Amino acid sequence: MIIQHREKLASPSMLQSNFEGLGYICSEAIATAVYLACQLQKPILIEGPPGVGKTELAKKTAEYLSSPLIRMQCYEGLDEAKALYEWKYGKQLLYTQVLKDQLGDVMRGARGLDESVQRLHQFGDIFYSEQFLERRPLLQALQAEEGAVLLIDEIDKADQEFEAFLLELLSDYQVSIPEIGTVKARSKPIVMLTSNNTRELGDALKRRCLHLYIPFPEPELEERIIASQVPDVEADLRRQLVAFVSELREMSLKKLPAVSETIDWARALMLLNVKELDAAWLQDTLNLLLKFQEDIELVQPEIKRLLNKQG
Amino acid sequence: MQKAMSTFIVALRQAGLPISQAETLDALRAAQITGISDRQQLKTSLALTLSKSLPHQEILEEMFDQYFVEPDSARLTDEPDEPDESPADAPADLPQGDGASSEPPPEAAAFSPESNLAKQLMSGDGDGIAVAMVAAAQDLNLSDINVFTQKNLFSFRIMQQLGDEALLADINRMANTPVGPKQRLQEKREQLREQVRDFVEQQFLVHAKNKGLKLRESFLQGVKLSNVEFHDYARMSELVRKAARKLASQHSRRKKVSKRGMLDVRKTLAANAAFDGVQFHTRWKATKVDRPKIIALCDVSGSVSRVARFLLLFLYSLQDVLPKVRSFAFASNTLEVSELFEQKTVAEAVAEILQIMGNMSSNYGSSLEDFQAQALRQIDNKTTVIMLGDARNNNADGRGDIWQQVYRQSRRVLWLNPENERSWNTGDSIMSSYTPYCSQVEPCQTLDDLNRILSRLLKYS
Repeated sequence: MIIQHREKLASPSMLQSNFEGLGYICSEAIATAVYLACQLQKPILIEGPPGVGKTELAKKTAEYLSSPLIRMQCYEGLDEAKALYEWKYGKQLLYTQVLKDQLGDVMRGARGLDESVQRLHQFGDIFYSEQFLERRPLLQALQAEEGAVLLIDEIDKADQEFEAFLLELLSDYQVSIPEIGTVKARSKPIVMLTSNNTRELGDALKRRCLHLYIPFPEPELEERIIASQVPDVEADLRRQLVAFVSELREMSLKKLPAVSETIDWARALMLLNVKELDAAWLQDTLNLLLKFQEDIELVQPEIKRLLNKQG
Repeated sequence: MQKAMSTFIVALRQAGLPISQAETLDALRAAQITGISDRQQLKTSLALTLSKSLPHQEILEEMFDQYFVEPDSARLTDEPDEPDESPADAPADLPQGDGASSEPPPEAAAFSPESNLAKQLMSGDGDGIAVAMVAAAQDLNLSDINVFTQKNLFSFRIMQQLGDEALLADINRMANTPVGPKQRLQEKREQLREQVRDFVEQQFLVHAKNKGLKLRESFLQGVKLSNVEFHDYARMSELVRKAARKLASQHSRRKKVSKRGMLDVRKTLAANAAFDGVQFHTRWKATKVDRPKIIALCDVSGSVSRVARFLLLFLYSLQDVLPKVRSFAFASNTLEVSELFEQKTVAEAVAEILQIMGNMSSNYGSSLEDFQAQALRQIDNKTTVIMLGDARNNNADGRGDIWQQVYRQSRRVLWLNPENERSWNTGDSIMSSYTPYCSQVEPCQTLDDLNRILSRLLKYS
């Protein structure tokens, strides 16, 4: 993967500026992480509060390297049949039927059981072969000719057993299929795992990955993000927006507003033709930022104070 | 470079980061790839490869700033119009600009000092001195520094290594030259000593501070719970919580194959391939999460008051990390505290329980009656019951029959006694009336005991 893209992966700062061209404003740490992941050929484990652009990073990396993005959403009960491969049972059954019809031809003239069995062996066994293999995301990523970006989303939602199953893939870029053998990556994919920290991940998994924590962006960075996502917002309003949101993040809310919420809010304010942030507009649009009624009730009496603070 | 990295990693390990060899290699490779010229980038690379969680990342960044000191060359180069020489990024870095670019000040030209150090000082070669200082520190094994009293010794030795003696000789020889340069050189020597002291101080902070902490923690693990000093409470709580988290992560998600659930098509087909594809044997898929169900009872009466705090702490942490724990505290009667634990922080919850019931005299009989009414019905053959108490009953009826019933209904009963085994059944202790109805009875006097016993418990439940 890295060999084909050497010129695109020359340095972290280059990555940073090119991501910017794609509309993904990132900090230096993020760019360094992607750079190192490609150079060291190690997976990145991305953590951080929801909505700071963890999944987006994988998407943009794929877009930048113009390689396919293979995404696997994890959930409780996910197993290898859904993640790695499955046999095409229907076709396998049909195959056995076909085989049965042909059995007469194959066995014609055979004398004794031994010879029959021998002929059967010569017939070639394709019951468990690549032809009947249904490829799931992990296998697809390994077999992609041109390399791929594999996004394993919300790994913390999967079971611990699945995590253990991933270890071989993450360290050696290969998986074992009992019926076929070991499948090695044709071109090592770039692997990104995201986690929302609903449970502690195992040490073995963490050891195999680079660890990137994406925090809420600094106000300055967030302003740039808004500027790139919602270019119509004027600079003053943008500053107000970002300052207000970062004030909210200081409060003890159930769910803190993330970057994606700020963007949504900015878009909404644009649609409503708001030129300046005031208490009335805030009252009306607060539900775009806060997703829990309790949070809204907590913030509403504070709106005036928060606005004055900025002034 | 390698040596600087490895001592840095040793320091990180002492600060509690679990860093394996594989990660060390990764870090070295990352440093090679990104290069060491950009300080911020080196820091990011190390954080990416060495730290695996946010708290660890913060520790690492703080240590990085302390360890890879930006050499304070500005202090020793007092020429304002000198071209912007970027200070070396890591002390172990090779000298970048040898200071050769800067012209020696005019006074120095009049008098030529003999010692190397004096020349460096006069020419304002801050980087060169900083590098020499770090090299000296490595020769002297500064990373072995243990206690703060060693700081002066190390400072002195580093000065010696840098060539302080020759410098002094130079200064003395300058007695007959004009006053200006001599004073200047002396001032510079003072500045240098100051810098060396700062450097040693920082290294001490990096290396020794955590060493002491480690020592203290390993000591606390083995100390009797009843003997823990008040000022160690905070650290002890942290240890207890760590232990509980570890136990839970090891054991909380054990799975067991059961016979209910969905048809496993794959296995069924494989199993019936021999029968011409006719579905003869069925294979079932379902796996069932089998989490241990725990009911814990904790004595908080006067007789165990010194230990009660830790037992409660442990209970709290256990409930925090395991999904199905019901906790009860009792002295003369029993109170379910599961909800309290859920709603309040650990300090508040423990304080509240101790305030309600602490220092009351214990009555196991009436407490068990309460327990019978509140929880006995919920005890089934999957439940593990843990009792933390000393069985000192103030000569009342112990109601061993209730405990017998608990024992019969539950999967296991575990009694942890904070007293030494020899003092069981002495005085008003009625341990012997409960012992027959326990799967296991253990003295539990230290945090180590608690860990060992509960880890065994969780393994089998």
